[in-house]
Amino acid sequence: MSSIETTRSLGLIPFNFHRLDTNNIVAASISGDYIFLKQNELCTLLKKPDELSSKLKNQLEAKYFVAPEGRLKRSSLRLIQSRIISKKETVLGGVSLFIVVPTLQCEHTCQYCQVSRSLNDTNYSLSKKDVDKIAEAVFQTSSNAITIEFQGGDPLLRFDLIRYAIDEIDKKRSDSDKKIRFVITSTLHQLTAEMCEYFRAKDVYLSTSIDGPAWLHNVNRPIPGKNSFERTVEGIKLARDLIGADRVSALMTTTRKSLNYANEIVDEYIRLGFNEIFIRPLSLYGFANRNIKRLGYTVQDFLDFYDQAFNRVLYWNRQGVELREATASLIFNKILSPFDAGYVDLQSPNGAGLATLVFNYDGFVYPSDEARMLAETGDQSLRLGEIGEHLSHYRNHDVVKSIVASSLSAERDGCKQCAFNNYCGPDPVSEQAQNGFMGGNVLETDHCKRNKWFFDYFFKKLKNADPCDLDLAYQWAYPAS
Amino acid sequence: MRKITALTSGFNQRVVARICHLENIQNEWRSDLNFIVKIEDSKSLELLLKLSEAGVNNVWPMARAKEILSSWAWEWVVTDFDFVFDGDVVATHDGMNHVHVLYREADSHHTVFLTNRCNSNCLMCSQPPTRHDDSWLIDEAIEVSRHIRDNPKNIGFTGGEPLLLSDDLKIVFDTFFQDHPMTEFDILSNGRLLSDSTHAKNLLRDLKANVTWMIPLYGHVEYLHDFVVQRYGAFDETLLGMLELHSYQQLIQVRTVLIEPVLENLTELCEFIGRNLPFVREVALMGCEPIGFALANRDVCNTDLRKWHSSLQESVRILERYRVPVVLMNMPLCVLPNSLKKYAQKSISDWKQKFLPECDGCAEQPDCSGVFEWFDPSKELTKLEKIEVVQYA
Repeated sequence: MSSIETTRSLGLIPFNFHRLDTNNIVAASISGDYIFLKQNELCTLLKKPDELSSKLKNQLEAKYFVAPEGRLKRSSLRLIQSRIISKKETVLGGVSLFIVVPTLQCEHTCQYCQVSRSLNDTNYSLSKKDVDKIAEAVFQTSSNAITIEFQGGDPLLRFDLIRYAIDEIDKKRSDSDKKIRFVITSTLHQLTAEMCEYFRAKDVYLSTSIDGPAWLHNVNRPIPGKNSFERTVEGIKLARDLIGADRVSALMTTTRKSLNYANEIVDEYIRLGFNEIFIRPLSLYGFANRNIKRLGYTVQDFLDFYDQAFNRVLYWNRQGVELREATASLIFNKILSPFDAGYVDLQSPNGAGLATLVFNYDGFVYPSDEARMLAETGDQSLRLGEIGEHLSHYRNHDVVKSIVASSLSAERDGCKQCAFNNYCGPDPVSEQAQNGFMGGNVLETDHCKRNKWFFDYFFKKLKNADPCDLDLAYQWAYPAS
Repeated sequence: MRKITALTSGFNQRVVARICHLENIQNEWRSDLNFIVKIEDSKSLELLLKLSEAGVNNVWPMARAKEILSSWAWEWVVTDFDFVFDGDVVATHDGMNHVHVLYREADSHHTVFLTNRCNSNCLMCSQPPTRHDDSWLIDEAIEVSRHIRDNPKNIGFTGGEPLLLSDDLKIVFDTFFQDHPMTEFDILSNGRLLSDSTHAKNLLRDLKANVTWMIPLYGHVEYLHDFVVQRYGAFDETLLGMLELHSYQQLIQVRTVLIEPVLENLTELCEFIGRNLPFVREVALMGCEPIGFALANRDVCNTDLRKWHSSLQESVRILERYRVPVVLMNMPLCVLPNSLKKYAQKSISDWKQKFLPECDGCAEQPDCSGVFEWFDPSKELTKLEKIEVVQYA
């Protein structure tokens, strides 16, 4: 064996592809590797792969699009297997996100939410007995790194319950080696110095909402004093001073009014000193569906808005101001990193029930945040049982089985032919919200339309990226350190 | 391996011994080890003779001249012992005409040689394999472990292909771990024999020693790697070996020697590593050592690294994107672009390293690996040059 010349005949390994434009294609292999091809290269690859240039043939082989004689080596099979396993770590590693809803009470009367109840409605809070049971359940998971996220309503309205829950969990964590992170999602209007001291001691992170500049935020999130923005910003400042500069993050919700102000919204995040922004579409769930005509917009409207906002985010990064966009981070993690960054979104099987459980104020457990919101609108079919059962009870519930069965991207019609199915997965809970049942035509779901657009969008970005842009994309593909 | 010219007597077979100061012999002496003490004069020899009369038969003299030892009737060594130090572990045998220094306490890199046999036949092999049975090296390695008196930070095992020792490799590991539990071990192996999961299990299942496996990879596709190591199927086996190692939580450093066919595909190889082997601890990109087969295969091994700057920069960038740490070894700083100098290590052991006349007064010499002793500037395409001012990107 002295010569590098070999006579190898290459055969195809099944793969999917997506047309970016008339002449450009992105193809993705079973391992999650991707390659950009020209139209003529794709045709040659499909008909006579041996006639491609050596450079391209080698790349295709190293990315598992082709193999000598069409047979994958033992090492290739093992590598692909171990890569798939590491990409499924979040969904297969046990429940890692426990969402606890201590109360539905909230001072705000946001039109697009309406899950929340006014301060006078005192029936919408978790009982202490249920909190005890939740503290038990947390330690039943096989996952070693868990997040406990308090949602609402505005959970800080029931700081007493949060404190009780964190203390109870803290007592038990001493004889466990689990890494536990607490997150509270709140307007921060009720935040006090005393709470901050406690949160600092207990390693608690705060997540809040900033929809953009003051006027936009205040229109989106009405309270009697018309000063929601100012009070949230005060809360952010207090938290940064007393808990730590890196302990507060924010996300935004896009309403119809946001659509023309992409730059202003991103700039507001810069002004407030955030290093991450999460540009989210309006959720269909909860009561928002009823107001969709007034508040809503098409998937395309949102995506046009996203494009503008994303370019603004890039603009700031090029100025040397670090700002991550969370959707882009998620997509880049899927495409570029061999590791799973731990997001519960875009998983196959879906993370609802496997990686996420919601312990709701109503005494019931749900597979996801969207599922408990759906219950508020009257569809309680996704309930997994009362708080107090062993975790395995929820995990083995028929609802979770249905979610799993209908979220396998390699099997669902519409998904299995999709070039992005390695990076994506259907969202049965949103199907339930949209159609009243899980399953149906995936291609007609907003979830699919939006994410297909995202993959197309980011593959185009990657294709045209200069080396510095690529560095940024890879940086975002891994969790921020 | 260092050799020191010597005249010996009484060593009918190869023995391993520790160099020990006469004053310390009481503290260091053990019945199951051998010691050689430096004898400067007849007075110290008398002390040794007394020990011998008392029945101590494993402490032998080493003198500068045979005359000093005239009253000594047992094993002895005569050599100019300025180059042997207390704590060194040496081997000798009558008829060798020298003493091998197997372990030098003062070194920062320690190497234990396990076999000269190999199941690959790399184009640039610096130590071309032989076929004969050299299993005596295993016993010698175990002797070396027992004779080392300190707890070195690091010991490297090398060959040949150490996995050819089969189950005996486990004995070597276990011995070294038992004698030196705090030491970190490296092993240079192509990993191929670990593709047999039973073999991997036997070796790795209860392995207590802290071992880093230094495994070579030369291509992102089978035929490129197999060509460089001159064995069909080697790529598949090496990858399977790495996966076995990973499944037993072993640390892996990928080692890639930069010869022409490797450099031509280096960026793709790094991409392959980043996506398929992100668990490796580090990738070492290494300049070729101009000795052994590298001299026989000059057409592919002799390369001017300056020609490959952009490929090297891109490769390092790719590995960093995948968060795989990277080091550059055996590359003098003057052949690297400024942006890559921070990755370069002073990787060439003192006794194999040299600088050239053009290095005189070079500002970067203190941080530079230099070149291998056998680097012949008239034949190598990579040229060195003096750097006036240190510049790091």
